[in-house]
Amino acid sequence: MSSRISLSDILWGLTGTLAVVLIWEFAARSGVINAAIFPSPTLAIESAFEKLDRVDVIQHIGWSLYRVLVGFLLGALAGIIIGIAAGWYKFASFLFLPLIELFRPIPPLAWIPLAIIWFGLGEPSKFFIIFLGAFFPVVTAAYRGVISVDPVLLRAAQTFGLKGVGLLMKVAIPGAAPDLATGIRIAWGLSFGVLVAAELIAADKGLGYMIMHARQLGNVDVIVVGILLIGALNLITDGIIVWMIRKWIGRWHGE
Amino acid sequence: MSEQLKRIVYTAAVFISLLLAWEYATTNGYLKPYRFPAPSQIAKGFVELSVVGFPRGLTIWVHVQTTVERIAQGYIAAILLAIPLGFLIGRVPILEKLTNPLIVFGRSIATLSLLPLVIVWFGTGELTKVILIAYGCFWTMISNVIAGVKYVDKGLINAARVFGVKGAALYWTVILPAALPRIFAGARMALGVGFMVIVGAEMIGTIEGLGALIMEARTFYRSEVTIVGMLIIGVIGFLISSGLARMEKVLVPWDTGLEDVRR
Repeated sequence: MSSRISLSDILWGLTGTLAVVLIWEFAARSGVINAAIFPSPTLAIESAFEKLDRVDVIQHIGWSLYRVLVGFLLGALAGIIIGIAAGWYKFASFLFLPLIELFRPIPPLAWIPLAIIWFGLGEPSKFFIIFLGAFFPVVTAAYRGVISVDPVLLRAAQTFGLKGVGLLMKVAIPGAAPDLATGIRIAWGLSFGVLVAAELIAADKGLGYMIMHARQLGNVDVIVVGILLIGALNLITDGIIVWMIRKWIGRWHGE
Repeated sequence: MSEQLKRIVYTAAVFISLLLAWEYATTNGYLKPYRFPAPSQIAKGFVELSVVGFPRGLTIWVHVQTTVERIAQGYIAAILLAIPLGFLIGRVPILEKLTNPLIVFGRSIATLSLLPLVIVWFGTGELTKVILIAYGCFWTMISNVIAGVKYVDKGLINAARVFGVKGAALYWTVILPAALPRIFAGARMALGVGFMVIVGAEMIGTIEGLGALIMEARTFYRSEVTIVGMLIIGVIGFLISSGLARMEKVLVPWDTGLEDVRR
């Protein structure tokens, strides 16, 4: 993928987006689609502004971000450590690989009931589910990254006297970095999706709760704004992660 | 070969010792049976589920069938929509530029966040679940179809033109086969997405389907039923991904693997 996006691409993109928003706006205003069921963007934002307390919304956003960050960081960290260990040390691969293969096909959301049984309805159960969402993509990517490091690089480093942990830290992990980065980015997207689901099913704050609660009150406009907000948040945070990954990997692999 | 045998033996040893430790800890009170039902308890739960059912009358096979049918409907709808649209967008650069941000944003919207809105529109029935699955699968699918069509080697197309291939024939004999590996990769990812979405969507407002089963069982303090349900979900997930990988090998023998191509 090229990282440079030309100005004309941006203009075309803006045009397409504007066109869709305008069609949506006109369809809702002229009554082609019922505005009470699917309000136009401006109407939705306007009335959501009236119904929502701004401090409340910021708190919901804060809670969602807090949950996804804690769960993601724990999951990614565990995934990196276990994945690299399984790729580098034989005994670790014997121990962890079967367990990973066993649990990986179970989607994180299927853990929700068990998480509630184990940790109750509070924050730990959400952390746990998001942890799983982040863990599996990262652990797979880390493992694959380490085992597919070019053997020539490893032998060259050994010739220069590197061995053991030094070899792992200086050669194997930097070599695995691109795979790892892909895994981390997938993990972030998955964590985010899992977060929303967990908040829909069992929570009393957060963006997922906000839109589920709005449904009970029949506030379609709040739901629409909430959905757009969740999408935007996901997009922005994904952009930040991509940027950080570029800076990190750029040290070894260039662009 | 002996390496493989060693691996199998180790794997079996890890599992059996874990199961034994778990059984021992639960029966001797180190672990609470409600939180960690013993493997023997889970086995009993499986028998009960497949004979009597939970809730009574809805056996595990009914739940599986319901879930699989929902996934199939949404998935097929998404594919039927995404392939022609993706081809169109992938072949017309201006269309691709116009729609690019929309597709990126459509993908960023967490599928399950649409649940409240879709419930307002269509109630809590089957249609809601099918639509959610279709939504989730659609974006994964269409971005892969677009990429597949867009990145077809220009040399291939020019070579075909030199030999006089054009129009529909160009699509059937060159572009489609060249784009298929990516399309298949998208189809595989999309099915994974659909599977994840359905488990979440079934946890709200229904008693049929695997997601509903594991959630209901929790409400009635039947954690062993929850775990049986999770294991079945895992088995289906495994069958789906390995089955598609095998099908891909048979249907697209000219694919040298996306991993090799990208490096």
